Amino acid sequence: MGKTKTIDPAVVQKKLSVLEPQLERLQQQAEEETDLKKKLKLGRQADRMRDKIRQAKTGERFSRQAKRDLVAYSFIAPNFIGFAVFTLGPVIFAFVLAFLKWDGNNAMEFAGLNNFALMVGNKRFLAALRNTVIYCVATVPFTLAVALALAVLLNQKIKGRNFFRTVSFFPYVASLVAVAAVWNMLFSPAKSGPVNMILYNLGMAAKSLPKWSADKNWVMFTVVFFSVWKNMGYYMVIYLAGLQGINGELYEACGLDGANTWQRFWYITLPQLRPTTFFVTIILTINCFKVYDIVYMLAGGNTGVLNESAIVLVYHIYEEAFRNWNLGYASAVAMVLFLMVLAITLVQFRGEKKYSA
Amino acid sequence: MKKRRLVSLVTAAAMVSGLAACGGGGGSNETAAAGGAAPSGTTAAESVEAAEGQTVLKWSIWDKDLTAYYQPLVEEFEKQNPDLKIEMVDLGSSDYQTVLGTQLTGSGSDFDIVTIKDVPGYATLVNKGVLEPLDEYIAADNVDLGAYKGLTDQIAVDGKLYELPFRSDFWVLYYNKDVFDAAGVPYPTNDMTFEDYDALARQLTVDTPGQEVYGAHYHTWRSAVQLFGILDGKNTILDGNYDFLKPYYEMALAEQEDGVCQDYATLKTSNLHYSGAFSQGNVAMMNMGTWFISTLIEKIKSGEYTDCANWGIAKYPHAEGVEPGSTLATITALSIPANAPHKDAAWKFVKFVCGEEGAKILAGTGNIPALMSDDIAGMISAMEGFPADESNTKALQTANLYLEMPVSSKSSEIEIVLNEAHDNIMTGNSTIDEGIADMNEKVGAILAQ
Repeated sequence: MGKTKTIDPAVVQKKLSVLEPQLERLQQQAEEETDLKKKLKLGRQADRMRDKIRQAKTGERFSRQAKRDLVAYSFIAPNFIGFAVFTLGPVIFAFVLAFLKWDGNNAMEFAGLNNFALMVGNKRFLAALRNTVIYCVATVPFTLAVALALAVLLNQKIKGRNFFRTVSFFPYVASLVAVAAVWNMLFSPAKSGPVNMILYNLGMAAKSLPKWSADKNWVMFTVVFFSVWKNMGYYMVIYLAGLQGINGELYEACGLDGANTWQRFWYITLPQLRPTTFFVTIILTINCFKVYDIVYMLAGGNTGVLNESAIVLVYHIYEEAFRNWNLGYASAVAMVLFLMVLAITLVQFRGEKKYSA
Repeated sequence: MKKRRLVSLVTAAAMVSGLAACGGGGGSNETAAAGGAAPSGTTAAESVEAAEGQTVLKWSIWDKDLTAYYQPLVEEFEKQNPDLKIEMVDLGSSDYQTVLGTQLTGSGSDFDIVTIKDVPGYATLVNKGVLEPLDEYIAADNVDLGAYKGLTDQIAVDGKLYELPFRSDFWVLYYNKDVFDAAGVPYPTNDMTFEDYDALARQLTVDTPGQEVYGAHYHTWRSAVQLFGILDGKNTILDGNYDFLKPYYEMALAEQEDGVCQDYATLKTSNLHYSGAFSQGNVAMMNMGTWFISTLIEKIKSGEYTDCANWGIAKYPHAEGVEPGSTLATITALSIPANAPHKDAAWKFVKFVCGEEGAKILAGTGNIPALMSDDIAGMISAMEGFPADESNTKALQTANLYLEMPVSSKSSEIEIVLNEAHDNIMTGNSTIDEGIADMNEKVGAILAQ
């Protein structure tokens, strides 16, 4: 790279006779141009032309710009090659697979839209879709509310503030597997389970005590409850950052106007936090659509098979792909999930523009 | 200029090494798990052979450290065949079949022998066309399939056999003698009907809070309750009509209601292992597979289990008018993948493990080989730690063996439906009739596909 070739003066002269008039023309145009943006553009073109002339004179194989570009690409390359091989390639392949029938070994067959048609009649898919949506709709607002409440409380100057902040953040960093086991113990379906014991002593009949994650009507509630508790700390931290970014003068001003605590929250804190709330809602919704581990740990039992009452989309993709080896169908389900997440992400892009402007 | 050239050189080097590390990642894990400087690809294996004059066979297994017979099998085989070396690759137990299926997908795997853990997993692999039919090898070596007591007929797919069983566990009734002695009740016999069994379980139950004794224990697997229904030989679990399961679910649910056995939902969410339940010493009888025998002997010997040290086994209870000794069987087998690098050498190993010599080594470690003879049953009951009375040895003799899941291309899909219905019935999420109707409808739909 960059090695000089032997320079033939005749060839150089020929190149220069073409390039130099072009450069002059560009410079002239640039001088005459009054629009600043266009002027800058012409200037850049002139720079490139000068580089070409220099290249012709010295006989280097690459222009300076090309060299700069190559170095920059070589910095990106290690990461990009990994991304292309392990992410981009499989993603594109999954798109193609969604229209094929394949078990990983035998020849692929073209299936057209058949994989998508199969979904409509698949009870486990419909249950997974329903549960995933229920999970999102229930988890997002609850997590937001709890995280905001915690953030507002722990933003005040109270004793042991750091201790409580750590305590609320703890579930987020604790190992999911360990915490889910403890949670299942607390919410044991037996009458002797700690939570059920409390309910029983409050006067609930032994027969009607909920069986929590073993009960088909309560399992999604248990899962939602658990994930609110598990994730609230993380979003609380984001809210705390948002709260600290609010200008104190606003509170002072409304204090002078005689606003009470509630009014301060409603008319200052909440509107000022709107960008944060927006960001948290989007991230949380996307994460909710991707839920898998929490449900698997809480409701999987010994066999690790989720029932229709608890199955979620990502689990359905896994079981179809790697238990039943319907790779095409599983990819089609993944496409559906992808479209839903894409839709939310588009909303986010639009919102980001609005709030950053 | 020089500096820049250096930078680009370094980045290029980083790129290449990064790629190499990524590319080798998949293979190196396994070889690391197998230990030693084992080769990761076939080409590498070739060079090892040339150096030592040995062929290395790759064998997929699970729970290497917990299973007593892998090492003695490999040692004995290598002693008899100095030109062959076995390299064990542990794929982990919980999702073994899924991992194995992934390994055999495409043509990149170089396993010579694979262990098959269960029938749905076997059916899946046969469907995928990644296993080698063994019939030609069997015919060439005159292997007597009669010694497997009809098991090999049950796992043939379209008349072809793709695996040979080496371990065949069946279900028996474990009991804790201390619990029976304390209640002054005679031990279970080898000839009990389900009514006798239910009555006995109820007789032993104590429901005083804090000192509960459970007459029976059912693990959360569907086999533990659901498959009582197929032991009369009139129905199979792939029939598509499950009305015959009703009396057995009624028995189990009534027992659960009356505190004769522990609550299914609690067992499920607490993930209590059956060994944990039995070793607590408050379970009188538990139905479980013979794989539990070696665990019991070992853990009692090491002093870990103290509350179930006096245990015994009896034949499975049976329906009225059915020969005692009819029970559920589950087989563990060896297969040769269709693209195994050394098929003939692999067959040698399969023949050894599944044959008489392998059977003796298995029996020596307290496991039930698929090739069961009176000699071998004697070896197991002669083990130190096996209950001494004659009736326990007799409990190891079986009359009819029914696979927990027969071979079918749809068995893994049906398995999901059956598991779900079992779960719903046992947790009370649906009534017995609803659960059975659900099974009939969904399995019917699968069979009609």
